[in-house]
Amino acid sequence: MSTFYEVNEQQTPKSGLLLLQVLIPGLFCLFSVRLWYLQVHLGGDFAEKARQNQLRQESVYAPRGLIRDRNGVLVAVNEPAYALGLVREDCRDVGATLEAVARLTGTPLSALRETYRRKVRRVKPFEPLILLPDLSFDRLAVIEANNLRWPGLEIMVRPRRRYKYGDLLAHILGYVAEANEEELEKDPGLSLGDNVGKQGLERMIEERIRGRKGLNQLEVDVSGRRLAETLLTRPQAGEDVRLSIDLGLQSMIAGILEGKAGAVVVMEPDSGQVLALVSAPSFDGNDFSVGLSPEQWQALRDDPMHPLQNRAIQSVYPPGSVFKLVMAGCGLREGLLDPAESVFCTGSIRLGKHEFRCWRKGGHGRVALERAIVESCDVYFYKLGMRLGVDRVSRFAKACGFGALTGIGLPHEKPGNIPSRGWKLQRFGERWQKGEDLNLAIGQGYTLVSPLQVARFLCAMLNGGWLLRPHLLADQAPERQANIPLNDEHRGRIQEAMVATVEDPQGTARRLRTRGLVIGAKTGTAQVVRLTDELKDLKDHEIPYEYRDHAWMAGFAEKDGRRYVAVAMVEHGGHGSSGAGPVLKAVFEHVFSKGFLARPAPGQGLAEGSDNGPN
Amino acid sequence: MAPIDRRLLTHIHWTLFCLMALLFLCGVLNLYSASGFRLEDGISVAPYYQKQLIWGLIGLSGMVALMLVDYRHLKTMAWPLFWITVGLLVTVFFAGKSIGGARRWLGLGFVNFQPGELAKISVLIVGARLLAREKRPLDFARLFCILGVGLIPAGLVVLQPDLGSGLSILLILGGMILFRGVTARVLKTACMAVPCLLPLGWFLLHGYQKRRILSFLDPSSDPLGAGYHILQSEIAIGSGRFWGKGFLAGTQSQLRFLPEKHTDFAVAVFGEEWGFAGTIILLGLFCLFLYQIVTVARDAKDLFGSYLAAGVFFYFFWQILINIGMVLGLMPVVGIPLPFISYGGSATLMNFCLVGLVLNVSMRRFLFKQG
Repeated sequence: MSTFYEVNEQQTPKSGLLLLQVLIPGLFCLFSVRLWYLQVHLGGDFAEKARQNQLRQESVYAPRGLIRDRNGVLVAVNEPAYALGLVREDCRDVGATLEAVARLTGTPLSALRETYRRKVRRVKPFEPLILLPDLSFDRLAVIEANNLRWPGLEIMVRPRRRYKYGDLLAHILGYVAEANEEELEKDPGLSLGDNVGKQGLERMIEERIRGRKGLNQLEVDVSGRRLAETLLTRPQAGEDVRLSIDLGLQSMIAGILEGKAGAVVVMEPDSGQVLALVSAPSFDGNDFSVGLSPEQWQALRDDPMHPLQNRAIQSVYPPGSVFKLVMAGCGLREGLLDPAESVFCTGSIRLGKHEFRCWRKGGHGRVALERAIVESCDVYFYKLGMRLGVDRVSRFAKACGFGALTGIGLPHEKPGNIPSRGWKLQRFGERWQKGEDLNLAIGQGYTLVSPLQVARFLCAMLNGGWLLRPHLLADQAPERQANIPLNDEHRGRIQEAMVATVEDPQGTARRLRTRGLVIGAKTGTAQVVRLTDELKDLKDHEIPYEYRDHAWMAGFAEKDGRRYVAVAMVEHGGHGSSGAGPVLKAVFEHVFSKGFLARPAPGQGLAEGSDNGPN
Repeated sequence: MAPIDRRLLTHIHWTLFCLMALLFLCGVLNLYSASGFRLEDGISVAPYYQKQLIWGLIGLSGMVALMLVDYRHLKTMAWPLFWITVGLLVTVFFAGKSIGGARRWLGLGFVNFQPGELAKISVLIVGARLLAREKRPLDFARLFCILGVGLIPAGLVVLQPDLGSGLSILLILGGMILFRGVTARVLKTACMAVPCLLPLGWFLLHGYQKRRILSFLDPSSDPLGAGYHILQSEIAIGSGRFWGKGFLAGTQSQLRFLPEKHTDFAVAVFGEEWGFAGTIILLGLFCLFLYQIVTVARDAKDLFGSYLAAGVFFYFFWQILINIGMVLGLMPVVGIPLPFISYGGSATLMNFCLVGLVLNVSMRRFLFKQG
């Protein structure tokens, strides 16, 4: 026990006590300065960071405006689609999560990695990166079941555009698809994964129908679980629009064009509204809104029938004999054509070494203007062409709206071509040949027009000479773009000749004759290739498809003060009358049938749509 | 064994006891908030604060038990305790339980026991015993002799591996040595040698330890990885601003952005909810508490008691320095808890017992005059 009672005489070391007493205030000073720095000096910044930790903002999709036909039938709607998103910040291990997604959904891992790599640069912090835009229900269930094991995976409900009539309106409505880099760059209202109008009206009136996204504030915990939500800004639904298109008419025409390539335009000559605009073959815009696979896209693009092409506005063809209406107008306008003056058609005309043939081998005999239009006499117009010369014709055709865009408000419209001396010199470095005046006169050669341009020209013939902007939306007021240089008398003369083309026993459009309707029309047959002699003698159906002529029929019909213009163009359809005539006849029968106007008139009843209202 | 003298009760250092009790209650209150986390439908509280209270009661009885026995008996028990500890540390290598890759625990059937904790006390007592005999400031020979004693258990603990406890042992012993005083030559040499040895130490660290130090130097380099703790802790503390967000209102902790919030980062929760004002008061309480231990060291009747108190001082001092330093982003992340504030059963028991030891020294400071 000696140790126990051992008493050390020494005093507690003074320096040691001093050391301890210095350490305590040292500790206090060090930490209080640091605390002041963090909590008072930088406190505001850290408070902001804590708030950002806890609050996230999320956009709330605004429903895209609905689209109806002129009678109020819904044609484009939104429906929910389930997308799989990944929030990087909540993800423990992105690589492993991607592997899990590949396993759970059966998607190739390489494709997921590629999607991730492509999008990760653009995605904002805590914004979900969309891995799979459209999940089927069974995959959805598999993901839901495994959701807890893979934090960071998020199932998002997003609106998906649905076109109720698939391919029927595809060329008019266009489609929506995921916005690309360029669009994201340009438009701050878009964020990664948003759909945006890519074609057709969806693209042209994007701003009107997109609406404005709302903002939702989420309070989350560290694993991204939502604890509370506050709607900061309400989403604003896009504007609903009504087309000028009549769905019944459109669908009837599409049925006739099934299996063919061609375009039909039906317009109201007084308002410029387009009642039908069909281009065949078509495609299904729904495929785009869910994301087209590269193979699907390749197949659509390389389809020899070019279904993506809107033939009514993007394809331009030689107008064939339809152009004779322009020639006649030009002649009357220039005063170089006396309607009573007649020409003797022997079936051909010689110019230098070339012989220019009339389509009827035997010739038409003595023909004046009306008969020349009714029977579509080539020789008459050859002579007229020689008399007018390319410059007059070119100037007049341009004044009638050819060679320029109609401004219908669809993307990628083509202006076509009206040749002139200057144009040829510039284009080919060659002088205009006299013989080309003859080709021009019957709508062959360099002249290229779109079906819509022809329809607009016909409208001007009927409505007092006004070139109207073709409208696809029912609420657009008529817009006069220009006046064609033809007076009432001249226009009346041409109209009469067109009516005679239907009514006359010799008329080339006689097959359109319908009891009770006043119908006027002009046929056209546009040569695709200069036919060799061996092909010339073959019957239409014996000629190989790609060598057959394009068939045109442009006309109008009138009854009880209502009138419509319709133009049909069937690629490789053979003769205008037989190839395109039946379409026009069906159109006129349809628009004057009992049921056509029995539906609620535009601007009334269900057309104004009660759903999706003041949202 | 001397009988318990009734007069001893009157000499109990009540200030120290009350400060400790106050700190402990602050800790329990803070734990109540720190163990809560918000769900969709309100706040759910894990029962850490209840467990901590129970451990506190156990600690209190341990403390009382320790106070009953005159601390001078420890002088005779010092070496046996030391060797038992070393024996246990060796046993850990063969029979220890491995949790999380480190072999630190001995299973005692009902509870897991960490010999590393015992090593701290043993070294503290042996250190006090050895230093009390030193008549002069330590020269090199004596310094290495005493450090050598500490190095045996410290080395064994580091091998487990438990770098934190190993360092603690050396730091406590080092603090006691400084308290005793060293010759001027030793001090000068040490001042020059330590900066040279630090880079050498770098090579002894594990990869994760290096990462912690690197991310301490630049937390933003890896905000979701190793730097996450530091960043979130600073955000929690800083966002408390002057007056704090209020009890149970800390978003960083309630939404679990703050990691380890009931153990190593508990004081960050406190800082977030009570702000600068509250944290300064807590810091003040710790300083007063440390100061009371210093008075005990000053007034102790014998040098052994004085060194014991100094050892306990350093035991608490280093933990406070390292833990708060880490939470405030002044030190790398090291798994050292804050006494009385962090949750931990055996740590609470240890803390109470060590305060009991100091109280023991304090209440017997007048006995010798009569004895």
